[in-house]
Amino acid sequence: MELIWDGIKQAVILLFSGSREVYEILLLTVRVSGIAVVVSMIIGMPAGLAIGLNRFKGRKFIVAVINTGMGLPPVAAGLFVSVLLWRSGPLGFLGIMYTPSAMIIAQVLIAAPIITGVTLAAVQQINPGLKLQALSLGASRIQVLWLLAREAKLPALAAIMAGFGGVISEVGAVMMVGGNIKNQTRVLTTATVQYVRMGELSLAIALVIILLILAFAVNLVLTLVQQKENRTWSGRFWR
Amino acid sequence: MVRKILEIKNLKKHYDSGFDLGVDHLGLDENRIMVLIGPNGSGKSTLIKLINLLEQPDSGEIVFDGSNVLYSGKAACDLRKNMSAVFQDPFLFNMSVYNNIIIGLKLRHIKVGQKKEIFDYLIEKLNIEHLLLRNPGSLSGGEQQRVALARALVLEPRLLLLDEPLANIDQLSREDLRSDLFGILKDTERSAIYVTHDRNEAMIIADDIAVINSGKIEQTGPKNDVFRRPSNEFVAKFVGVETLLEGTVLENKNNVCSVGINRTEIYAVSDFRTGQNVTVAIRPEDVVLFSEGTDLSGSSALNFFRGTVIELQDVGLFKKVELDCGFRLVSFVTANSVDRLGLQKGKVVNSSVKASSIHLLKR
Repeated sequence: MELIWDGIKQAVILLFSGSREVYEILLLTVRVSGIAVVVSMIIGMPAGLAIGLNRFKGRKFIVAVINTGMGLPPVAAGLFVSVLLWRSGPLGFLGIMYTPSAMIIAQVLIAAPIITGVTLAAVQQINPGLKLQALSLGASRIQVLWLLAREAKLPALAAIMAGFGGVISEVGAVMMVGGNIKNQTRVLTTATVQYVRMGELSLAIALVIILLILAFAVNLVLTLVQQKENRTWSGRFWR
Repeated sequence: MVRKILEIKNLKKHYDSGFDLGVDHLGLDENRIMVLIGPNGSGKSTLIKLINLLEQPDSGEIVFDGSNVLYSGKAACDLRKNMSAVFQDPFLFNMSVYNNIIIGLKLRHIKVGQKKEIFDYLIEKLNIEHLLLRNPGSLSGGEQQRVALARALVLEPRLLLLDEPLANIDQLSREDLRSDLFGILKDTERSAIYVTHDRNEAMIIADDIAVINSGKIEQTGPKNDVFRRPSNEFVAKFVGVETLLEGTVLENKNNVCSVGINRTEIYAVSDFRTGQNVTVAIRPEDVVLFSEGTDLSGSSALNFFRGTVIELQDVGLFKKVELDCGFRLVSFVTANSVDRLGLQKGKVVNSSVKASSIHLLKR
């Protein structure tokens, strides 16, 4: 019990004492996971929308691949990116192994299928009659996509939350491709692993608490946006 | 010459379910309302989807406003902008009622200001002025359908497609909405195809009627032609003919046929020849009942039948009376007449039908 209490105290001290190391770890975590989620959204949302709304040959296979991707073990993503970026690997010339860029690539590999899959599921919930109605009102293909994306807007926020949750908590892949290098590629999760190994349990607890606060803050903002959307859209007018 | 807004020729479409749609010919003149009527599963909605270019036929052609319909994405989309459709379900979008109504205008890049007159007219006629800021989810089914109708009508389409728009609404709201909608259609002189399986609705709104069954058009023409002169037994039953009797033409004198049925002769105005097998079709509202001993010297009717009441049944505002006159004859009378004639099972009454009201079908 005392251990946990010490950890909480340590977390407060670390947060408010202005420890440079902790801030660097926190900032890198936000930067890597934030960029990874944004990139995954750019890839996953249009992909989920397109696959969810269209019927084509091989669609079931693609959906199965995405569903598998949603459960992709982070170590597999890490290994895959490592092989690619290894000095003698196909993308070794980029020289980005053990850099934040490599960590972002690995996290995109984890988050993009999640965001695609959740978007896909959300789009499939839309009444198929709405697509027909949109077309019959004279909507072009792009306009149909826009109208239906609008319908899936609220569930899509859930996709972002799921994607962010997937990468912020992830340790295997970033450890493998980032290397947990102090001041360079150390993020909250890898630092926690490091401190546990060193026996610095209260420091580890402090970092986990910071991680939880960060995850909670991001999800709180997204939830507020989602609930607000739900309440106020009806008042908005186009002129 | 009247302008044709729509013409369908030899349209065919096969579905994996085994259903085949085949329309040899169907045409709609401008500013007329055609009611497409038929039983469930007869292909009414399917035909509407083909006309609305939401599906592509296997073969045949659709001529819209003088030009052949092309199914390439852009051309179909441009053509679709001349139509708008309302389906059984209102399919409203997750946005305010106001935004729902103007969504079609937005999709067509038309400024709302340009349509202010029709917009104001519609929200007043459809009585949805007070709902504009509401969320469609919070509206009743009837209110939602009013919004869907406003959304389609504000576009002032060249062709309006209405696929059973009143089917999912409770009885009371349905009658209100029906009279509002029909008033608007008449006021705005829209060309429209209205799908229903309710012949009363068809009777009120239609200029023309097309009867569809099992994917084929059984008969099409002006409302009265189809109602008064159905081309076959299916159409006859569907448009409300209750008495259908098989017989043979015994004689034709100056286009008044005498048809032998059992031991009775029925007179009908028709040009069938002696010896032809026919089906006699009599609408129930054309059968007049009167009590025995009534002076009939002033009647112009040629057919008088004496029969026993075998069944009395409520059908809405009327009573359906079935008589056994040596054949089964059905009449609709008011509740008032039932009292006046003292109608009850077993009662013997007289009936008359004008020869000009009886229609003969080829058999």
